[in-house]
Amino acid sequence: MRKVLIYSASFFALLGVVLTVLPFGTIALLPIVLALVLVFFAFRISSVKQRRFARIILIISAITLLVVIGKEIFVKDVVVLDKQFEKNKVESKKEDIKDLEGL
Amino acid sequence: MKKIFFAICFILFSVFVSAQIKSNERLVYAASYNMSGLLTHIAQVTMQTETVTTSKKTFLHLSWEAATFSKWDSYFKIRDLYETYVDPVTLRPTLYKRSISEGAYSKTEKYIFSPDGRTINSSSRKKNEPETKSTFKVSGATQDIISMIYKLRTVDLSTLKPGQSKVFVIVFDQKEYPVSVKMLGRETISAGSLGARDCFKMSISANTNKLKGTDKNLIWLTNDARKIPVMVKFSIPVGTGQMVLSSATGI
Repeated sequence: MRKVLIYSASFFALLGVVLTVLPFGTIALLPIVLALVLVFFAFRISSVKQRRFARIILIISAITLLVVIGKEIFVKDVVVLDKQFEKNKVESKKEDIKDLEGL
Repeated sequence: MKKIFFAICFILFSVFVSAQIKSNERLVYAASYNMSGLLTHIAQVTMQTETVTTSKKTFLHLSWEAATFSKWDSYFKIRDLYETYVDPVTLRPTLYKRSISEGAYSKTEKYIFSPDGRTINSSSRKKNEPETKSTFKVSGATQDIISMIYKLRTVDLSTLKPGQSKVFVIVFDQKEYPVSVKMLGRETISAGSLGARDCFKMSISANTNKLKGTDKNLIWLTNDARKIPVMVKFSIPVGTGQMVLSSATGI
């Protein structure tokens, strides 16, 4: 039982790290919270000598949780100016006016 | 993104023209994808209006632009542009264009409506494919999806009672789609920079597999003369999401 909890928690913690690195926003909280819950139970049923790995997963999950929350609070969503897109829009408009003149 | 945009546009659709749309209006939205109640911001959607004058006529240029937030650009960059040139009073379209750039996929499409609105000359081109041209018939009242979005805002929604609905037709991907718009009632919604607003809540359904569920595709329009779309919720085959107004200028 302890091993199942540890393996599952490891999987979700890893998934949480991946989703945190990728721009998935609060969706990353799903595996992180799951990892925290699983590792909490694994920690409880582990003897003192067996707690080292569970503690590592717990720390990783807690750090990724903080990173996700921090990103949500401090990192603003922005759209960068795409020069090519802006150029395409100007050219498209010129072409449209030509079409409209011809109708 | 195409499905999401289609869903949003369907939800933003409606009926009778009773007021004019102002030029130089700019509405900016944050579009999010929903997973188990958690949202991730994907793109910024901008709706703009502008007056365009040719030697013969004045048009209202309506545009919808979708651009992924910079954090997504490295993984899946989207730069979509939907435009239409309409009569400023009737909002009847003359020229409709769609330019899609989503990751490795790109497509451009152009519809030229005949003066009676019953025939459309279309041309489209996908990446690395030759341009295809065709002419097809539509019903006289059929409009492009963008001009329909703006028509929604000119409807006197106060005449619709909860549960009442109307059926309309739009053209998308060279096909006509009947769309049903149902009034659900009124709700107070936080409308970005506009603050909390009393809104009309409406449900949109269409005879297409692009939208899912009953009363799962919703739009909230401010209960005032401008009828600003402040929030859209959509349910499509790939999931659910929403679009929330973040800023409104020129209204």
